[in-house]
Amino acid sequence: MTTTDTHTAVDGAAPAQRVTEEDLARQARRKELTSRWFWRILSYVAVLTVWEFALLDIFSFLRGSPLDPKLLPGPSEVVATFFEIWGEGTMPAAFQATLTRIAVGFGLSFLIGAMIGILMQSKWFEGFFKDAVLISLSAPGLIWVLITAIIFGNRPLGPTIAIILTTFALVTVNVSEGIRALPKELLDMAKSFRVSVLKRNRQIVIPHLAPYLFTGLRFGFSIAWKVTVLTEVFSSSEGIGFEMRISAVLFDMSEFLTWILAFFFFALFLEKVVLEAIERRYFRWRQAVTAT
Amino acid sequence: MAEIRIKNLHKEFGVGEDKVVALEDVNLDITGHSFVSIVGPSGCGKSTLLNILTGIETPTSGTVEITSDGHVAAPGYVFQAARLLPWRTVTDNLLFVQDDRSDATRERCRRYLEMVQLGDKGDKFPGELSGGMQQRVGIARAFSIEPDVLFMDEPFSHLDAITARALRRELHHMWDETKKMVVFVTHDVGEAVELSNRILVFAKGGRLEDDIQIDLPFPRDPADDEVAVAKAHVLRKFEELDLLAS
Ligand SMILES: Nc1ncnc2c1ncn2[C@@H]1O[C@H](COP(=O)(O)OP(=O)(O)O)[C@@H](O)[C@H]1O
Ligand SMILES: [Mg+2]
Repeated sequence: MTTTDTHTAVDGAAPAQRVTEEDLARQARRKELTSRWFWRILSYVAVLTVWEFALLDIFSFLRGSPLDPKLLPGPSEVVATFFEIWGEGTMPAAFQATLTRIAVGFGLSFLIGAMIGILMQSKWFEGFFKDAVLISLSAPGLIWVLITAIIFGNRPLGPTIAIILTTFALVTVNVSEGIRALPKELLDMAKSFRVSVLKRNRQIVIPHLAPYLFTGLRFGFSIAWKVTVLTEVFSSSEGIGFEMRISAVLFDMSEFLTWILAFFFFALFLEKVVLEAIERRYFRWRQAVTAT
Repeated sequence: MAEIRIKNLHKEFGVGEDKVVALEDVNLDITGHSFVSIVGPSGCGKSTLLNILTGIETPTSGTVEITSDGHVAAPGYVFQAARLLPWRTVTDNLLFVQDDRSDATRERCRRYLEMVQLGDKGDKFPGELSGGMQQRVGIARAFSIEPDVLFMDEPFSHLDAITARALRRELHHMWDETKKMVVFVTHDVGEAVELSNRILVFAKGGRLEDDIQIDLPFPRDPADDEVAVAKAHVLRKFEELDLLAS
């Protein structure tokens, strides 16, 4: 971002300059970016076109018998359904239910995961938690979703526990790694300059750990929302997953797809826009490091 | 006036098989307006001594005392690598080691940044600066608290010759003007002779082997006969102690 700013400033100050190497490099970069976006958008257009006009015939041919058009609505119909559901007002309520579940579950998971990460600095606790962390990292989330659904039914505790079991280890691993990499030279430096312990923690330990916590947050969140929706599909009476189950049971593909797409875009927005904006805002110094 | 008193100082790291003796029975007094250089082969405990004097490490046995006019002296420390907080700007790195953030303090930080020719880099992050610039920020940081004793651990060894020369001159100037004490670790005998009025020679195993006074006037030109003779003298001591091989 900063580089673009300086470029424009330079351009404004000396408009009649000869074309420099930097200009050429910038042009090339812009061209490259444009063409990348072109192909990206083209892929969406291609998929939507095939889906709208040809997919029904293709599937009918593959099945060997004609497919009921109601089972495979085109994108235009899905969009229409979206506005219909939006008008009914069920969407905000469903989103709220799901998001609350994610916030509570992942919030707890984050605290528990961080605490275990801190405890694991001791050899004994490391031995105690090591395999649990490994299992949580490698076992598919679906297992916990099914187990908690069977045990807790549609009680709110089920999804919370499923989220904790699937995501705490990601936080643990990152916190652990961050603590192990604590910058001893910086802490020593601060000590020699008689900087107070409180200030050392606030200005060295926390900023050092922040990127590790943030990585745990990002990866944890990307799993947490999928697991949450899954638990709702299996056992719940509200939320986006629940709405998906209802439309699936009613064979209402159009509604089913609407819910999926709505949530997909919402999660994408949170991950790509919100989290990345936070990253840009708070970790500017890291870009400074990578730029040189 | 600052005073350093070191009595029977002993420092070892590790236990059993891994035990390393870093300093062995060091006795040493440094007083007043001294510029003391510590030279010796690598691994002879120079950094460890500075770390103990600045309170980063504690002695295994023996005592160290650093006072200034009867109260505990404030040390400034320049490390071999800059040791800047990467997530703070240059100015904030200087402010980090200050007791307050008053206008006077900010002004002082700005002045020392200017002294190392980085007056216009205050808003940069360390990652945006070259290694030499980062080292100069580290130097400005130590100067900016106007310490009673300035400790420097091979501060110029990573800098190019021209920058190092300019900063050496600046350092001498500051020492001369403020009448503060400087304890300076280097492996460059020429640098030690150019700057100091006292040179301590350490040998492997952390023993203080020699204590050489150099009473030549400043500024000292390496091409000057007397300076060259002094340098040869120190190098001969090195030879006698068999330190050059390592
Ligand atoms: N934190 C430490 N742990 C273990 N050994 C150390 C530590 N610091 C220094 N040493 C050892 O102490 C000896 C002196 O080291 P150091 O003071 O860094 O030497 P110098 O600065 O003269 O090169 C070396 O053998 C080094 O390996
Ligand atoms: Mg050293």
